[in-house]
Amino acid sequence: MTKKQDQTASFMVRFNQRIFEEKGESQLQWRGKISHEQDGAEKRFSDFNDALLFMQQKLGELTEEATKHQTTEEQENIVQKSLSMWKTIKDFGPKVIRDTLKDPKKQFNHLQDEIQDKISLIGDEISEKVQIDQWRNASRSDFNKIQSQIESLSSEITKLSTKIDAIKKK
Amino acid sequence: MSHFLLQLQELESFKEDAQIRIETLGHFCVWRNHQKVDNKEWARDKTIQLLQYFISNRKRNALHKEKIMDGLWEDWNDRDFKVALHGIHKVLEPERLSRTESEYIIRQGVSYQIDLEKVWIDVEALEKYIIIGNEAFVVDKSISKKAYKAAIDLYKGSYLPNRIFEDWTSEEREKTQLLILGAYITLAEILLEENPLESIRLAQNALAIDATWEDAYRIQMQAYILKGNRPQAIKTYMKCEVILEEEYGISPLPETKKLLKEIEEIQ
Repeated sequence: MTKKQDQTASFMVRFNQRIFEEKGESQLQWRGKISHEQDGAEKRFSDFNDALLFMQQKLGELTEEATKHQTTEEQENIVQKSLSMWKTIKDFGPKVIRDTLKDPKKQFNHLQDEIQDKISLIGDEISEKVQIDQWRNASRSDFNKIQSQIESLSSEITKLSTKIDAIKKK
Repeated sequence: MSHFLLQLQELESFKEDAQIRIETLGHFCVWRNHQKVDNKEWARDKTIQLLQYFISNRKRNALHKEKIMDGLWEDWNDRDFKVALHGIHKVLEPERLSRTESEYIIRQGVSYQIDLEKVWIDVEALEKYIIIGNEAFVVDKSISKKAYKAAIDLYKGSYLPNRIFEDWTSEEREKTQLLILGAYITLAEILLEENPLESIRLAQNALAIDATWEDAYRIQMQAYILKGNRPQAIKTYMKCEVILEEEYGISPLPETKKLLKEIEEIQ
């Protein structure tokens, strides 16, 4: 069995904000540094996608190392799953961060609303009798379904964001 | 005497009087009653790790034993913790009678923390000096200068360099690095007119920690001009431009470009 430490990757991310005037307009620039704690590797970035790529690469190496004793087919299957999760994060993550940086108050309100909705939903659910005998363990298809829902949600958000940007320009 | 000077004096006296002093910057070393503790006294690396964990988490409330072990070791049992803690007590208080409370590690039930009132730790002192420096900056720059210098003197290198691959040390390392970068830059700015050569040296130290720290290049450019070394000021800008392009794919800030323009215009 692979050791717990060999299954862990920690990252330290530093963001450095630069605000300056250019052509009479205020500009903001983010400079960042991401470090992988377990091997000391570092990457600097001005585009957050580069930081995500760095994380993806390090996590890919971790998965590869942990599955090196498995058959090629099994290994490919696991690596594929790892990449699929990253595709979602890569599509969705930068937007959340960008929105938070752009308008932290708005993003905070949005997250607060979402949490509030979830709390009300859970409240409704637990007020009903829990049919515990109808529970079953989540299957692979359940996970696939969740994955695809997250992907479609992410794409909806991107479309919505484009529309909002277009409206703002008008 | 001003409030800040008094604080500086208290910090100095604490360093001189503390029975236990711990250095974590650049290397790890413990001083007991003003004598360096020999490495052999530690016996096991887990004992050192536990003490370093206490130091890294000193700002948090007392930590539960299981949380400490979870953060530190992959496979642990109660015995590991007991032996390591006993090892710390043995090194810090060799004369302590058994079944008496430790003077330096505070215990509350099964939670533990290091006593910052009694143990002098370099990273803790460094942060306090920088706080004094920052607070005094608007009131009295001469005190600021003293405080930043004291902080810089303490910085012998990164936090626990032999534990760079342990994630429980990274938060402290990052925090200290940012604090010291700020101290180098602010002190270099204060000293710019008075001692440009020292400003150049301080900015160079900042660049040794982070070669992309643009403020440091700007200070060096200004200092070289004050020393009448125009070519070196221009060379510094070029260096900055190259490194920012290499590391981030961006060009220097308009402020830095403007400074170059001013330098180029000097006859």
